[in-house]
Amino acid sequence: MSLKNILENWSHYRRGHEEGGHHDYEHMWGMAIDLNKCTGCNACSVACYAENNLPTVGKDRMRKGQGLHWLRMERYWDEPEMGGDEKEYQERGGSFLPMMCQHCNAATCEPVCPVAATYHTPDGLNAQVYNRCIGSRYCSNNCPYRLRYFNFYSYYEESWPEPLNMQLNPDLSVRDKGVMEKCTFCIQRIRTGKDTAQREGREVKDGDVVTACAQTCPTEAIVFGDLLDKDAQVTKLWKAQEVELGKTKQDKSNGELRGYRVLEGLNTDPCVMYLDRVREA
Amino acid sequence: MSGSDINRRDFLKFMGLGGVGAATLSGCDMPTTVTLEEGKEKVVAYLAPEEYAIPGIGVTFASTCQQCPSGCGVHGRVREGRVLKLEGNPDALNGKGLCQMGQASLQGHYNPDRITQPMARKNGALVPVSWEDAWKLMQEKASGATQGRSAWFTGTVSGHQSVLLAALNDAWGSKDHYVYEAINNAVGEAVNKSVLGDAAPAYRLDKAKAVLSFGADFLGTWVSPVHFSREYAKFRTGDRGVLIQVEPKMTLTGGSADLWVAARPGTEGVVALGIANVLLSKNQVDGKKLPQVALDVISQYSADKVTEVSGVPGDTLVRIAKYLKERSPSLVLSGESAHGHANGYQNAMAAMMLNVLLGNVGETIEASNSMVFGELKAKHGNSKAMLDFAAAADAGKYDVVFFMGANPVYTAPVHLGMAEKIAKVPFKVALSMFPDETTMSADLVLPLSSPYEEWATSVSPYQPKEAAISMSQPLMKPLSAETKSLGDILLSMLKYQGVKGYDGFDDYYAYLRSELNAMPGSVKAGKDNDAFWSAAVQKGFIKAPTKSGTLKVSVGDVKQGGYQAGGDYPMHLVPTSNQTMYDGRNANLPWLQEAPDQITKIFWDSWVEIHPKTAAKLGVKEGDFVRVESDQGAIEAQVYIYKGVHVDAVAVPMGRGHEEYGRYAKGNGVNPLKILSPAVDEKSGELATHATRVRISKTGRSEELPRLGGSEVQVGRRLVSTVSADVFRRTEGV
Repeated sequence: MSLKNILENWSHYRRGHEEGGHHDYEHMWGMAIDLNKCTGCNACSVACYAENNLPTVGKDRMRKGQGLHWLRMERYWDEPEMGGDEKEYQERGGSFLPMMCQHCNAATCEPVCPVAATYHTPDGLNAQVYNRCIGSRYCSNNCPYRLRYFNFYSYYEESWPEPLNMQLNPDLSVRDKGVMEKCTFCIQRIRTGKDTAQREGREVKDGDVVTACAQTCPTEAIVFGDLLDKDAQVTKLWKAQEVELGKTKQDKSNGELRGYRVLEGLNTDPCVMYLDRVREA
Repeated sequence: MSGSDINRRDFLKFMGLGGVGAATLSGCDMPTTVTLEEGKEKVVAYLAPEEYAIPGIGVTFASTCQQCPSGCGVHGRVREGRVLKLEGNPDALNGKGLCQMGQASLQGHYNPDRITQPMARKNGALVPVSWEDAWKLMQEKASGATQGRSAWFTGTVSGHQSVLLAALNDAWGSKDHYVYEAINNAVGEAVNKSVLGDAAPAYRLDKAKAVLSFGADFLGTWVSPVHFSREYAKFRTGDRGVLIQVEPKMTLTGGSADLWVAARPGTEGVVALGIANVLLSKNQVDGKKLPQVALDVISQYSADKVTEVSGVPGDTLVRIAKYLKERSPSLVLSGESAHGHANGYQNAMAAMMLNVLLGNVGETIEASNSMVFGELKAKHGNSKAMLDFAAAADAGKYDVVFFMGANPVYTAPVHLGMAEKIAKVPFKVALSMFPDETTMSADLVLPLSSPYEEWATSVSPYQPKEAAISMSQPLMKPLSAETKSLGDILLSMLKYQGVKGYDGFDDYYAYLRSELNAMPGSVKAGKDNDAFWSAAVQKGFIKAPTKSGTLKVSVGDVKQGGYQAGGDYPMHLVPTSNQTMYDGRNANLPWLQEAPDQITKIFWDSWVEIHPKTAAKLGVKEGDFVRVESDQGAIEAQVYIYKGVHVDAVAVPMGRGHEEYGRYAKGNGVNPLKILSPAVDEKSGELATHATRVRISKTGRSEELPRLGGSEVQVGRRLVSTVSADVFRRTEGV
């Protein structure tokens, strides 16, 4: 970016994400996750391990919170403040929440990186450049969702003893000690999808890219796609739920619509929309 | 490369072959494989790759997941001769999605603890031997097999392997094939057979408006979880169905319930009768579908009596009855926590009675269509097989026993003395991929190839409507040259026995080709042999014709026994199956060890679930080690305290506590099945896994629980928010 460019387009670059931001996005990859369908089965999480070369770190390190589960299935019990009660049993089952990097358009992790290892791509992705990362862990500190994972050790020898290493996906790297990592929305699949479309001389269409978690979900609770593609299923879901990017509070014509973004009041502008869990009473 | 025999040229040749050769193997409609083993010189360079093997580009091939008996169709992504990732086959009957066990089955294939060559017991220890020696040993020791003194003890088998196995047993004059699955629906099947005349009818979750499940964890481990998950998604959309789960410990399915009800273990049948009573007396449901004798029994189960026996409050019974009445058609299911008792059959019968009373038979329970190729159908296991086998082995009935796909030494309770009884068999052969407990007690171990290295066909045990024969093809070259597929081993044995009709087949692949060639024209749909084979392998399955069945209805005796207090052992032990460790077979997969349990979120270890009231009485807090003691022994593990387990129950997950089975499994956690008391379901003879009484005591030891996440509640934040079903139906209902 030349100085000339900055001076000429100053007002453009100063535009906040509420006004659409300064990016000229080519895509805006996003998700819709229906908690009415999600059963908490955890298949998405294991699929992510398989796709993204996630190491297993063992009991003690997991207990210290050093597990590298890019997609973790959280489970909460009802509490009185959330409509639960003081009954003897957990009558309404559990609340399950598949949490992966929310790919915020106003990501709190991005501006704090001293080396710009994490930045926003023209695809609307919150990207992490491993070989730029110096391991300051500021980003992780600043993520309100706690979805960034740090390689405190080198795991490749312990995690993939031969021949387990043969399963490693050559489409992406194995990360080493001192590097931060997180969900990439399966960027290797996005790249393959875009390459294929380009080779075939067409635009990327809905369904060209499916993340590992969405692909494996036995109830199809996870829908992935390009929010700039108005025909994409994910866009239709966002629209039907009247959830829009660039807002801290959704202005809905019908207050009963289920779509919401986790902690959107923090103005992080996440690209993942969840749909409320439903219970009979 | 000084000091090495390999020169650069050979090295490059080898690299080329490693990639292309293996990919070729997995192909469907492709030229014959060229391998170094065959000594052929032709080398295919990457510079001129074949169309399907482009370096850097993954190609998918269809196969079948064998991690649990459901047998879901998968697509394996193969790149440079290695299978990297499995995904559900979108066209398969069980298809599209895949559960975490299926995802992790790749780690079985690439497991560092796989058995890579035959082993034989010499001076007490298993030592590697050649296949030649292994066959010699078989010849020496297994000769007794010909007099009918042999048996097979396996997990679920189906397809053409099952046909060969039957042929072999026939040749040997032995009919003894024990098919064992620790996690099964045998009690439910017995009741289905008796009431409906159909052991495995179609459960139409997608058509039901309300589902009442007595411990059937259909999203987790019951019958065919991926299939039911897909139906569940339909069940929850539109005019969203209500799910009521009655069980002693919250299963994955219970975690998604609208109403989760804790019933005292073993009293599920009483609860069912109580609900029937309310339906008849308060909800004006017509009882004419039930015989008078059943109505008489039901009338004895007033709400007060049911509450006293089961601990389920009267207003909960009324609520359940209201859902069932208002939201018709409903569906009532029963699963392992209801079946695993001395009165398991009665529990299942009472649940089925509700289906009859509510008119669900024919609506949400439909007659199954059965596949015409009867000999290919799955031989699905139960636990009675293990009890029968233990008795037969103890009586010295066998000279030789073959084990495959089952691990009775690990799963059998201590009281069965399984290891000692198996030791009485003079010659034990284990066909196995892993050094599990049963394999390590064998005299001869034959290394099996993984499901992703071999040719096979399989048929899912639960195919109620459409039937398919699912294909397995090698997704890559075997990791170890010494492993063989079950089909190949069986074929070799048949040839060795001189059984007629098998001499012409070089290998199991040739046999399968010929069997598929011989399929009727209606199945082949006008294709010639090669085209039919290619289509089968490319799609991953062959649609098979079915015969439609019918259902009768005759409700049996629904009388329930009295509830027995526990005496010295006041608590109920609930050994829970879950989708991580399953019956213990997944304990060697690090992804599943590290995957937090779906409900408690605990990883890499066993735990004991107790209710907060029990914890208060005992004076323990989360992470404290407790001792769970039955009349058969004791186990110790850390407690997890929550309100998803009955006050009188102690739930311990199955699957950990291995003494063998490789680095990830061995010495990790405890095995609750070991301390089961001797009890069987009186009607079906199934092992009563949930009938054990225990007492629980503090050990004084404590440690931080290995559990994911800090807070168990959302502390008022809107992370997962909940709306009522009324709201959902208003905005999204049809």
